[in-house]
Amino acid sequence: MSNAFVFPSIHDFPPFYTFQPTQTTWQNQVALWSEIILSYYRHHKLYRLELSESLNSELFHNKGINRRLKLDTLQMIIDEMVKQGMAEWDSPPKKTTAIIYWRKPEEWATLINNWVFEAGITNSILTVYEIAHGDTTEGLEFHKLDQIILMKSLDILVKKGVAQTFQGTSADDIGVKFFGIN
Amino acid sequence: MGNKNSKITTHDRAVLDLLVQRDKLKQYQKKIQTVAEKETQVAKDALLKNNKRVALLALRKKKYQEQLLSKTDAQLLNLEQLTQSIEFALVEKELLAGIEQGNLILKEIHKEMSIDKVEKLMEDTADAIAYQDEISELLSGKLTNDDEDEILAELAQIEKDQLVENLPAVPVQDFVSEDITEDIEESIPQQKVKVKTPQKQLP
Repeated sequence: MSNAFVFPSIHDFPPFYTFQPTQTTWQNQVALWSEIILSYYRHHKLYRLELSESLNSELFHNKGINRRLKLDTLQMIIDEMVKQGMAEWDSPPKKTTAIIYWRKPEEWATLINNWVFEAGITNSILTVYEIAHGDTTEGLEFHKLDQIILMKSLDILVKKGVAQTFQGTSADDIGVKFFGIN
Repeated sequence: MGNKNSKITTHDRAVLDLLVQRDKLKQYQKKIQTVAEKETQVAKDALLKNNKRVALLALRKKKYQEQLLSKTDAQLLNLEQLTQSIEFALVEKELLAGIEQGNLILKEIHKEMSIDKVEKLMEDTADAIAYQDEISELLSGKLTNDDEDEILAELAQIEKDQLVENLPAVPVQDFVSEDITEDIEESIPQQKVKVKTPQKQLP
């Protein structure tokens, strides 16, 4: 990865890695962990958290103090984040992968809609692929946005009536037409 | 997805198909590029081991991939031109529909106002204006000479007032600026005090 993420000092605090049974302490612990996860994911522009995989990453495994978060503790933390709308389980009830919303789908939707308006693409057709991977969006915030988040944001725009998604001859390829109101 | 009274036309679907083809070509290009890069690496590794045969094969493969790449480039250009022509044609179609609609409305409006009607209307208006003038004349004729005098006096008064308002302001500035120049000439320390005071007010 490009520039390293600077962890807050709490990340070097050994008890931070064990589940704290006292209710208030636990809530505090969850709040701090979710803050770290969100800013880490925002820093590296990551969207998916594979739980068992990530336990070996610098995020949850602090080699400096030889502490590592447990899988069930991480699941509980993500559960709390899901409750607060900061994350979502990829395929519930399985708790193996979570999607991290360091920006909510509504916010992504606004970003995309603004871009459509400013780039004058209103009333033309785009493929979902080119929004996330096309040359035209290179350097934009939502370039390389996770497919699931992108589809959710587009769904929001569809519900608002500013866009419509549709399929071509093959059902796998989804296109969007923006109407540019709102 | 798109089955509820959609604003998506068959044109849109056709354009989407073209765009999907473009995306697929681009993905294909990415694949070829990575393969070509790999072949270069293979050739380099083989040369390090003095295996010229493998290196040559890898470079030949790479050359072939590059040819493919330039072919797909041409195809991409083709596709993009096609989609753009379609988009432009659609814009033109809409423009034509717009002009037609405008024409229709203009004709409808014209139907409602025939030349005869307008001529008659203009005549009527002229008559009405003449009639009004006559009334005004009759009415103003009723005013006495005294009334006229009063009216003229009021006019003169208003003119006089306006004249006073429009006069340039009494030159106060000239007076003050003289004062300031005197200040500067007389005492430099006084100026320093003046500069300091606003600083004190800041916090």
